[in-house]
Amino acid sequence: MTSLTTFYLSGIIGKEVFGTDGDAIGVIKDLLISAVPSGLNDPNQQLVLGIKLKIGKEINFYSFNTFRVVKAREMINVTCTDLIELHRDEVNNGLLLVENILDKQIVDLNGRKLVRVNDVRLATLPTGTFVVAVDIGIEGLLRRIGISLPIKKFLSVFRVNIPAKFILWDDVQAIDFSNLNIKLSKSYAKLHTLHPSDLADILEDLGKKSSTSVFSALDEEKAADVLEELETHAQIHIIESLPVHKAADVLEKMPADEVADILDEIEDEKAEMLLKEMDSESSQEVRELLEYPYNTAGSLMTTDVLAFKPGLTVDEVIRELRIKKPEPSELYSLFVTESNDELVGTFTLRDLVVSKPESAISLIMRSEPVFLYDDQKVDDIAETISKYNLLAVPVVDRQNLLQGMVVVDDVVEDLINKRRTNKR
Amino acid sequence: MFKTRFGKSSFYRNMGIFLALLGPGIITGSVDNDAGGITTYSVAGAMYGYRMIWTLIPSLIVLLVIQEMNARMGIVTGKGLSDLIRENAGFKITFFIFIGLLLSNIGNTTTEFAGVAGSMEIFGVSKYISVPVVAFFVWILVVKGTYLIAERIFLIFSASLLTYVVSALMAKPDWGEIGSAIIRPGITMNTQSLTVIIALVGTTIAPWMQFYMQSSVIEKGLKMKDYRFTLIDIFIGCIITVVVAFFIMVACGSTLHPNGIVINEAKDAALSLKPLAGEIASQVFAFGLFVASVFSATILPLATAYYICEAFGFESGIDRDWNEAKEFYILYTGILLISAIIILIPNAPLIDISIWSQVLNGILLPVVLVSMILLINNKKIMGNYTNKPFQNIIGWGAVGILVILSLALLVIPVISK
Repeated sequence: MTSLTTFYLSGIIGKEVFGTDGDAIGVIKDLLISAVPSGLNDPNQQLVLGIKLKIGKEINFYSFNTFRVVKAREMINVTCTDLIELHRDEVNNGLLLVENILDKQIVDLNGRKLVRVNDVRLATLPTGTFVVAVDIGIEGLLRRIGISLPIKKFLSVFRVNIPAKFILWDDVQAIDFSNLNIKLSKSYAKLHTLHPSDLADILEDLGKKSSTSVFSALDEEKAADVLEELETHAQIHIIESLPVHKAADVLEKMPADEVADILDEIEDEKAEMLLKEMDSESSQEVRELLEYPYNTAGSLMTTDVLAFKPGLTVDEVIRELRIKKPEPSELYSLFVTESNDELVGTFTLRDLVVSKPESAISLIMRSEPVFLYDDQKVDDIAETISKYNLLAVPVVDRQNLLQGMVVVDDVVEDLINKRRTNKR
Repeated sequence: MFKTRFGKSSFYRNMGIFLALLGPGIITGSVDNDAGGITTYSVAGAMYGYRMIWTLIPSLIVLLVIQEMNARMGIVTGKGLSDLIRENAGFKITFFIFIGLLLSNIGNTTTEFAGVAGSMEIFGVSKYISVPVVAFFVWILVVKGTYLIAERIFLIFSASLLTYVVSALMAKPDWGEIGSAIIRPGITMNTQSLTVIIALVGTTIAPWMQFYMQSSVIEKGLKMKDYRFTLIDIFIGCIITVVVAFFIMVACGSTLHPNGIVINEAKDAALSLKPLAGEIASQVFAFGLFVASVFSATILPLATAYYICEAFGFESGIDRDWNEAKEFYILYTGILLISAIIILIPNAPLIDISIWSQVLNGILLPVVLVSMILLINNKKIMGNYTNKPFQNIIGWGAVGILVILSLALLVIPVISK
């Protein structure tokens, strides 16, 4: 007997298991593995723990320790020395290969996209049986309808191969845990390695139930980043399907202008509930933004801006920035305001870096800056930004008081959305 | 994109939402009146006069119930019908459905090109010019990614289907007779009339529509609170389908039938309208046929390629390039190419092809419907939005009748030989 036997899930489902005396015991329905990855590259997370057997009319879960899969003359045989029933908890904490994986969508972590599982490849070693990879290729499909071998033989005459596509089990994340009662955040641990915008693309492609459960498993910071990247209708779906307090927690972590855009699209009552649940500082900013009519600078701007008094020195400003550790987009442009918030000038990080530490800000700033009024229509905002080579434009009210800024990212997003409606 | 800030009046808000959501039902309804449909309605009208119009009423009811189920499934699960079938019915059934769908849609697309060829011949353009040009135009339209604009243009053009109303009115139909024919059809049941009934139902409720409808609902990102707008949309779409079908049957029934003219193709209908209802009526008929054919020839291959890739787990979508979504482009281009080439073969058995794709549709439809009804009654998938009893009664009733009709279609030719 060889020490390594590889086989496919489709090859053993529906097959009979034989006991030591050679009698048929029951029919294989499913295989169970651990649902909680204990850490990357840990072989135990791939170990087959249990087997779902149909014996007579009863279906039960048994430990896989007493089962062996052997290949003799291209035939797969499953033998069993003893039937040890699995504890309910072990079943509940497990992932079923047929019910949760086969034919379902899973995340390919390297390709950063959803793929559909056509088959699962397993291997039996002296230490146990392990899930090795998922088959997402055409060969797997042909195998499922039982015509893979004849077609392969036929094509080999012409020296043509059916391309096989496998993804290692380490590089996939299962999505469907619908039968489980365990805490999901641990089960989705592998997803945390993905970039928020990749994660957002995957969520958009998932069904509504799955996208909500994957989203709920993310921590608040990551969730906020992902939510920001989602398309509008996916954002609305997520916000409406989360419990209000949880949704509010995520929204607090997002920039006020993004929150305003989302709340704008959902029902007024629900938006009001969310605003009440959010902390007062965040909700106040959002409320102010919501008052601006659509397509005005005010509705597009972010209120997260950095403004300094003209009397400060370069060194003092840099020190303040080190303490505040602002988000990258807040540094696109820095502002100088009088004590009543009146905008008097703008300066950039470059200005700070190339100036002497003791220079006053009023000397390095650009006075009479380009600005937008908050109630100004913004159809030509992209032109303004490109004409003056800006990363951000300050927005002031009619009294010239600084209200926020429109950053280039939002303008680009707006332009892409406009084009996307014309292009699929 | 409609954006309304707080405080706008609810009327405008509702109108805004409605206009933004408008689409899936109406587009599906318009694509439904494709070359195959127009042919079937014309043939039925020429052969039986007004006596087949009654079939539109049960068709309308079943169409409404089925499309509502599709919309509800799309809204609740956010998943396409092919996804749901693959995940819940297993691979073998999925494989059967989609191989059937592929074959029947190649047949249907061939019928669309037959419509293109026929209608352009009325305007004196040879099919060896019109078919390659249209096929290439359709291919470029989709591959170069201007599909959404195209969809809107088609939607406006599909209003030209209403030209059948004009054709019908020019034929001066006898409304009293139409009314009494709907109430008392007086059809004798024989092989021929049964075949026509099956063809009428089959062309009104085609299997691919279910997949198309559900994906467009998802594409639109509809939500349960928009449900009533979606219902209106579906209702309008179904009414458009049935109204157009009604007027085609009236047009052919009041001109061709009394004169005993028998036709095989929609083109024949347009040609024979000329001496009876005038040159303009004939050209209007041909123009409607052309637009409907091009519209459906664009959507059918695209939709088929999408659903097959979705079910089999291939990368799909016209926003991906050839290397990323090879299978998708091969399928799409293949369907288009095969269909166009079949039309260009001299003496191709077009009528056989259209009959066989109808038969395939007839076999597929009950399978798809059974899958749908099982899925939509599954609490794990649909939660609180499973079917109500009356929806199940109509659904299962439709399946029963369709199975009997399809069996009859398969058995009758054998018996009558």
